[in-house]
Amino acid sequence: MKLSETNKAWVLLTPALLFLSLPAYGLFSAIWTSLHENGSFTTKHYRVLFQQEAFWESVGYSVRITLIATVLSLLLGLLLTRAFTSIIQSTKGKLSIWLPMLFPHFVWGYIVLLLFEQSGLISHSLVEMGLISSTSSFPIMTNDQNGIGIILTYVGKETPFVVLMLLPIYAKQQTGYKDLVQTLGGGKWAAFKDAEWPWVFPVLLEAGIILFAFILSAYEVPFLLGATFPEMISVLTYDWFYSGDWNERPLAFASMIITSILIGIVSFIAFSAMNRKRMLLTKGQD
Amino acid sequence: MNQLSKQKKIQFWALTLLFFILPVVFLLLKSTVLNFGFGRNEDIEFSFIGWETLFSESQLIHATLVSLGIGALVVFLNLSIGLLAGKALAFYSFKGKSVIESLFLLPLIVPLLAIAMGIHVAMIRIGLSDTWIGVVLIHLVPTIPYSIKMLQSGYASIGTGMLQQAQVLGTNRWHRFFSVELPLLMPSIRSTVFLIFVISLSQYVITAIIGGGNVVTLAMIYFPFLDSAGSTVLAAFSTWFALLPILFYLSMELLLSLLPYQNPWRTRL
Repeated sequence: MKLSETNKAWVLLTPALLFLSLPAYGLFSAIWTSLHENGSFTTKHYRVLFQQEAFWESVGYSVRITLIATVLSLLLGLLLTRAFTSIIQSTKGKLSIWLPMLFPHFVWGYIVLLLFEQSGLISHSLVEMGLISSTSSFPIMTNDQNGIGIILTYVGKETPFVVLMLLPIYAKQQTGYKDLVQTLGGGKWAAFKDAEWPWVFPVLLEAGIILFAFILSAYEVPFLLGATFPEMISVLTYDWFYSGDWNERPLAFASMIITSILIGIVSFIAFSAMNRKRMLLTKGQD
Repeated sequence: MNQLSKQKKIQFWALTLLFFILPVVFLLLKSTVLNFGFGRNEDIEFSFIGWETLFSESQLIHATLVSLGIGALVVFLNLSIGLLAGKALAFYSFKGKSVIESLFLLPLIVPLLAIAMGIHVAMIRIGLSDTWIGVVLIHLVPTIPYSIKMLQSGYASIGTGMLQQAQVLGTNRWHRFFSVELPLLMPSIRSTVFLIFVISLSQYVITAIIGGGNVVTLAMIYFPFLDSAGSTVLAAFSTWFALLPILFYLSMELLLSLLPYQNPWRTRL
């Protein structure tokens, strides 16, 4: 009986496991391509890649933008969900906070462009109000060297995503644990740390990893709102992939593999932090 | 207490208005207002010229149909795979389950660009590059993990009780699926359909690589438009991107209302 039940689960999982072969094949093929030239093994592409100044610039720039956008989205999403759980659960609240999810990333990027470029709405409004003398004295916030436009786009698009992930936790949250902390004489901080954070942390971490991986390697938004130099890693990769120079194509593969390894390291650190936390949590329940 | 919740409501609406609603309203205005009268003393001028120009592009209608077709197929495959896997993960405990669960998260963590570039050569070899089937397959990569997750929690929230009851009453598997599981899962299915369609519509770079410029979805013509079209036309185009999922969703609802148990007129009696 037990065995047939388990088998049934695997039968149900078969199509999904078959699907996994698609991204798995893609990744391994990318690794293979980055390590071969004319059919024989070589690390040459990585050596060439590591000598590229543009690559290192790009890695630093991408990681900085990604970290800022991820942390801001997580923070805002957490604060919004905590403060307004009951309002967000209403239909009106849901519709308004998830409105950005209706738009593709690049369309939200275009909205940011319309609002924040030097000839955009905010700049013109400030001139009308007499706060700045002309639109050219408005700071450059799109296609800028610091990636402000990219960060604004991602924070606007991903904060609702974080709310989406966190809402079930807060909707189901029982006040019992908080009452317990209070009964035992703990303050607000203790209630947050002991009766809220342990449930929120794993979800926040998962959302954080998804966002970090996505923002670091997505092409559309930095293409639209990035500067010519430095470029984000995805834009650089795409240029190499489609450049006329056939020698540059392996560099595209190598740079994406390095990006994957970077994401892998970050996820590993995050997951091991979570597992430690989970272990403590289950220990407490024994 | 009441005072506090009222204050909270005001705070919430101020925040969402400023950060989410007003930008969208501005986009809508931008597509119908020719000039906002900045700097000049002209009046604000309304016009549908942006929308007219957009729909006079012969590519647009075609690309919309291509996007709808690809999106519909991606949604269908997602539901099929997601419902099965979601059920397995929600109701069964087996060895290696946590490993499987993290494996299903991996496609969201590995760069999509790396996967698309890696698959590209294989697609050429088996004749799927430059075809819409190839594009549908690559669109599965960023979508399936979400479907599995959402439908898994959907199944988990209905629990096994109702299903066991139906089983005890002697229903067969299909009957059970259509008359118990599907109606109870409707909320999760709705949000899955919506999210998956939007994600499929948003894919530019992987569509470009696998479709090779032959499969012209809306995203494929949006990017060239950015260089050539005026901001009024672009604002209309941008709005079109948000209207499509709504249209798709409404037509799904219409289809579903044909199912006997979903008929709103009947359940209200």
